[in-house]
Amino acid sequence: MSTKTPTEADILRPIQNVSKGYLALFALCALALGAFLVGWAYQLQQGLIVTGLGDWGSGGGVTWGMYIGAFIWWVGIAHGGIILSAAVRLLGMERYMPVARMAELMTIAGLSAAGFYILVHMGRPDRMVTSVLGHYHITVNNSPLVWDVTVITAYFVLTATYLALTIRYDVVRLRDQLPDRFNPIYKVLTLGYSEEEDEVVERMVWWLALAVIIMAPLLLHGGVIPWLFALLPSMPAWEGGIQGPTFLSIALMSAISGITLAAYGFRRAYDWDHIITDDIFRGLLLWLGFFCMLFLWFQLQFAVNGLFKAPIARAEATQAKVGSPIYRVAIGMIGLSLAYIFATIIRPALFSKKRALIVSVAVLAATFTEKLLFVVEGFLHPVFTLYEATPGEYFPSAIEWMSLAGTIGLVVLVFLTVSKVVPIVELHAIEHLRGGHGHSHEHEHEPVEESTKKPEVEA
Amino acid sequence: MSADDDSFHPLGEEWENDLEGMLDDTEYDTDLGMEMAEDAMRVTRGELSEAEFHEKYHDDVMEEFGEDQRPTKEAYEKAQKAQEEAKGTVSKMLSKFEGDGEEPRRDVMKKMGAGAAAVGLGAWGTVDDGGQEEEALAAAEGGEEEPGFGEGEGVQWGMAIDLERCDGCLSCVTACSSENNLDQGVNWMYVLQYEDSSSSNATNSQVSRGAGRAPNRLVRPCQHCTDAPCEKVCPTTARHTRDQDGLVLTDYDVCIGCRYCQVACPYGVNYFQWDEPDISTEQIAEQHDAEPGEEGDHMTDDRGRWVDSRAPRGTMSKCTMCPSRQDGHKGEEMVGTTACEDACPPDAIQFGNMHDETSDPIRYAENPARARTLARVNPPSASDLEESLSGAGTDVDSVIEATDLEQEDLELMVAIDIVTDDLAETDGDHARYEQNIQDALDALSEHGLDFQSQEVLAQLNLADEPESSGDGENGGNGGNGGDGEEFEPDQQQAQVRLEQFAGTPTSNFRLLEDQGTNPNIIYLGNEPGPDAEQVEPTGTGANYEDLSYARADGESASLVDNRKEVLDEGTVGDAGVRLG
Repeated sequence: MSTKTPTEADILRPIQNVSKGYLALFALCALALGAFLVGWAYQLQQGLIVTGLGDWGSGGGVTWGMYIGAFIWWVGIAHGGIILSAAVRLLGMERYMPVARMAELMTIAGLSAAGFYILVHMGRPDRMVTSVLGHYHITVNNSPLVWDVTVITAYFVLTATYLALTIRYDVVRLRDQLPDRFNPIYKVLTLGYSEEEDEVVERMVWWLALAVIIMAPLLLHGGVIPWLFALLPSMPAWEGGIQGPTFLSIALMSAISGITLAAYGFRRAYDWDHIITDDIFRGLLLWLGFFCMLFLWFQLQFAVNGLFKAPIARAEATQAKVGSPIYRVAIGMIGLSLAYIFATIIRPALFSKKRALIVSVAVLAATFTEKLLFVVEGFLHPVFTLYEATPGEYFPSAIEWMSLAGTIGLVVLVFLTVSKVVPIVELHAIEHLRGGHGHSHEHEHEPVEESTKKPEVEA
Repeated sequence: MSADDDSFHPLGEEWENDLEGMLDDTEYDTDLGMEMAEDAMRVTRGELSEAEFHEKYHDDVMEEFGEDQRPTKEAYEKAQKAQEEAKGTVSKMLSKFEGDGEEPRRDVMKKMGAGAAAVGLGAWGTVDDGGQEEEALAAAEGGEEEPGFGEGEGVQWGMAIDLERCDGCLSCVTACSSENNLDQGVNWMYVLQYEDSSSSNATNSQVSRGAGRAPNRLVRPCQHCTDAPCEKVCPTTARHTRDQDGLVLTDYDVCIGCRYCQVACPYGVNYFQWDEPDISTEQIAEQHDAEPGEEGDHMTDDRGRWVDSRAPRGTMSKCTMCPSRQDGHKGEEMVGTTACEDACPPDAIQFGNMHDETSDPIRYAENPARARTLARVNPPSASDLEESLSGAGTDVDSVIEATDLEQEDLELMVAIDIVTDDLAETDGDHARYEQNIQDALDALSEHGLDFQSQEVLAQLNLADEPESSGDGENGGNGGNGGDGEEFEPDQQQAQVRLEQFAGTPTSNFRLLEDQGTNPNIIYLGNEPGPDAEQVEPTGTGANYEDLSYARADGESASLVDNRKEVLDEGTVGDAGVRLG
């Protein structure tokens, strides 16, 4: 770890080298994804009976389980990722520019995983196009699931546009150093490029970022995704306005944690400590703390509203949720993460990247658990609790667990693959680090004090 | 009051005579009035068009009253034209809501109904729309005449379920599973026994419970809600309300198996087809001597959509209220019935048109004591009565003596007659019971038992003893009015007798009404409170596992209460632990 100046060679390194570690990780992820694909093929052959799901009511099961829980978890990561990247571009949080593209990639990969889950969850995935699009003009007026698909598609298009526009700039400038075997890809990416577009693109990206920031709380993870659940009066564990803010806070927690993991991996693999600085990790950790705090606050609202003089069904649902040991573990993990993050503010020496990494993994595990439990709890404690078989039973089957490993594999594979084709850190970030703010990198790896001088929550 | 009188009016000859009397009192032509009234009923039945009706009487009316403000054929055609022109505006605007599916049409009709009330054109426009005449006419007239009949909304199948009559035998469950070839545990019809700490209501009638106080039970088919949440959330329109009769169905060819309908339904009536169903479509079609995909295969409905019988793999199923029956594919006599209704030994399930005030469910809910009694009284046939009565005396005691009739049965039959204005005049299963009673009473009347006399009714405990002042018995038969005090059978007293026998339900409710679903099932009996909990069946209640049902493959399968036990067999890597 010497004082280095970020160079173009730095960001080209992943493209030009293939390490054993890379190959091993690639193989592991491919294996995870492959195993799930086999499992899915078996599910397609046998039907959804291979899952642990069942019919709620007299049927003693739950209707939706890990597929939907993981779906909203991945969508959350995706939404949080793009919000982060948009904030960087819109609010001038230039410090995070080196991880902005990772955040965008996280969005694309996360949405892919989520989209995959929609297919996996369906009884008749072959009818997705004919049945859904064929009646779209009618169903879009009523069905939250259709709103959901609409908005996620819109989001995917926004993000892909965003990413494509910023990648053009890099590819044109670094073309000579990029491998020829991907020439067709670069040609398509830079189709019709002229230098005059740079300024236009910059403005377009700004507007896209604005759209994302506005849409996110209103329509995305603060809107249609929670509305899938929150609008159903018959399931008191889901119902209510607090779900919007809760979902959004979970999305941001998960995304920040995910980006921390990705940033940590790339920094370690390519000696990018002068590009993805400690400062970035400190900053991300503080933001993570902020959203953990919001999340816990929303949970408190939910719990107090459900426990103090609530209608019977709601009170039962809340009691069951709050009393669940799994819920307590998940909330406890987030509480401990928050405690640690607060502690680093008071005693900066407590910060280390490894600890930030552990916190991120803990938060991701906790948000996943919370999502899974959230989905299941709805069916366990409906308004109509008369059935003996309600609350029903559910535990994800082996194939469902494989889906989680498989989609994590898929997302990592997206990162691994894209990092071999285009720079995973954008050129702007390098230019920025070298440019007007060149001095900043001088203290980037001085430990501890720096971040306390500049609290992160400035924006 | 005879069943085969020549009366044209649904309320019977007596009512007709009263009307005639009223007309006699006026200065106008009674015959013309009666003739017009008769034809007016034909219009309502759709046998005569309104235009023809007005055309026919225009001249007479002009002669009699000097004016006729009702539309003639010319006026009708003018109205039609105006309607077409109006299409450019309101109707066209409304038609945009239609989309290409049939579903929203119902809503459009409702909206147009509102418009029609104001403009008076919408209803005229639908008169020629085959099969809708009745509805349209009723809608057009609704404002001025009796609003109850039909209400202008066409057919809405639904049920009245008398929970106090349910003995938990599960016949309805097996009948449904068999009729629809369901997999084990797919209990489209589900019956459960529950304990409800918040309710201590129990009925003390003689028939509502066979053996004293019985446990609380709930019979739970799909509620076929008018505002079905399952339909609202469906991302494909596979879950839809059938325009013609309000059944909430799933188009198995469209459903993508997202299961959002099951999530949104507050009642938990949906069952997903998690794997290949046990019985193939070929077996089902073969069972009904049809090719799969053609009408009569017990899968394809009138519109050619696959909505009936068990679902194929990967789609959602639930109680359908037997569209194959309602479409007449199983014969005309099966229209207006369901498998569960047919199978129910104590007649706890009444299926019918919820928009028709004379349908079984509506009549049942209106007067459960009367309806319960109807199903319990089983009079000897008219010919049997005539045979056994020959030579017998004409007083009550002699009649009871000479026939198989019990005194109590006779009392109840007469009580039913007194409280029912239109005995044996309506459609439905109840009319069948009513007919039997009517025939028996007619035979007894013919023999000489006068059911209009206070003395006879007093003997039957349906009237007070007449004051025996000696001079001339009052045999007044209601309408004609004798001299002095006129005796009228006391409906209230008859009703009390029926309630004494059959009891009245503790309540009349629709399930989870506060969810805003507008269910089309009326329950009679105890409404389960929020603390109610299902318990093991007791008394006459049967266990699911003890019963079996036949399927199209010729084998029989046993009922399964909790389907999870069946599904767990297919789970890959069942960890045996649970979340939550």
